[in-house]
Amino acid sequence: MIEVRNVYKRYHNHHGSDWVLKGIDFSLPRGLSVGLVGRNGAGKSTLLRLIGGMDYPDRGEIVRNCRVSWPIGLAGGFKSSMTGRQNVKFVARIHGDESSIDKIMHSVEDFAEIGKAFDEPVRTYSSGMRSRLAFGLSLAFDFDVYLSDEATAVGDRAFREKAKKAFQDRVSRSSLIMVSHQEGILKDLCQAGIWLNNGKATWFDDINDALTAYRESIGK
Amino acid sequence: MRTSWEVTRSVWHAMFMREALARTAGDRFAWFWMLAEPVAFVVIMVLVRELLGRLRLIVGAEWIPWLVLGLVAFFMFREGVLRSLGAIEANRGLFAYRQVKPVDPVLVRNVLEGLLKTLVLLILITGVALLGYDILPFDPLGAMFIWLSIWLLGMGAGLVVSVAGAMVPEVERVVRMMMLPMLLLSGVIIPLQTLPYRVQQYLLYNPVAHGLESLRLSFFEHYQSVQGVDMTYLWFWALAMIALGLALHLRFDMRLKAL
Repeated sequence: MIEVRNVYKRYHNHHGSDWVLKGIDFSLPRGLSVGLVGRNGAGKSTLLRLIGGMDYPDRGEIVRNCRVSWPIGLAGGFKSSMTGRQNVKFVARIHGDESSIDKIMHSVEDFAEIGKAFDEPVRTYSSGMRSRLAFGLSLAFDFDVYLSDEATAVGDRAFREKAKKAFQDRVSRSSLIMVSHQEGILKDLCQAGIWLNNGKATWFDDINDALTAYRESIGK
Repeated sequence: MRTSWEVTRSVWHAMFMREALARTAGDRFAWFWMLAEPVAFVVIMVLVRELLGRLRLIVGAEWIPWLVLGLVAFFMFREGVLRSLGAIEANRGLFAYRQVKPVDPVLVRNVLEGLLKTLVLLILITGVALLGYDILPFDPLGAMFIWLSIWLLGMGAGLVVSVAGAMVPEVERVVRMMMLPMLLLSGVIIPLQTLPYRVQQYLLYNPVAHGLESLRLSFFEHYQSVQGVDMTYLWFWALAMIALGLALHLRFDMRLKAL
């Protein structure tokens, strides 16, 4: 259960600072997966970062009464000079799963399917390999809510099927908040939708309605 | 649910393993340079001194042990500051995990650096002692306490500059530039005792000089240091900077993460 209460956020810079989010207000029931849609720069990643606790809102508050993952995406989360294995070990340790580190390592290795590259520095990975590793890593922990910031965007068909299956397997336990421009995967994985426009959020009980609203707003 | 302390502890553990690996196995000669740097410095300084032929006598201590102590202690302070400067930037990718705070890599790096420099000091003391110089501490407990104090001073300075350097990039340049004058002004190479009294009074505003001279006093029984060396003064600086540094980290935590 996540509650977002009247959240405002802006980034300060040298030439004025407009509000990115202006009074976002919604609550997310347990077990419901949501797709976040909106044009580039609408504040989707910002909202995801706030929900993930990577950043604080300027006003309002976010209540997390469950285990929430970090925003899984292409940027950040890995130290590029370390190998995939070392990164996985680090993340397992900060989540306090020292005892099950081998189990986590195996499940990530299995899910990512990047073969020998698992022991190469992350900087040598392609973006697809990175996202496989990131997604596999987050799935190794039992989060109640997974945050995905375009983590599936560069994945191939096999990866997409795998991600879909992983979430269908745990649909009773976990849910997903997902930012993506791929309508297919949003429809596959999410039930509800949130459309972000001009700093405001509009809730749709059906992801298809959210996508329609978004498409209409950009005149397509 | 884990408590905050449990989360912090596991972050420190994970971070320490990561930093230790990067520091010692990062490049092939990492271990070699850790020892070679102070040794090379000592050799060069001894050569310079021999060539210049200006053998000033240091009352109550031999020249090489005197130099080694000052150098290693100064390097510990310097590494505490310089490693902290890069700590936040180098670990930026890991702030994606909300458990990791910008202060964590700074603290962890300081602990690691303290351990490594202690090891280096012990190895050098053994080496110099085996060469027949008188370097075994006359007051070992006092020496350990002073060594720890110098480490805390470096950590305090590191905490402050890590925030300042991340928010104002120019700070990093200035701090790096200041390290050479600091080396000269702290009495690492030039004995402060040989300088005029008036100059000494100004140099004693530098807490590092107090640390180095106190360390030498605890090693050499008959060592004559300058008037006014006082560990209380160093502690005043160390505690004030640690408090200021932690306060800065608390205040700018989110801004450092989101930079």
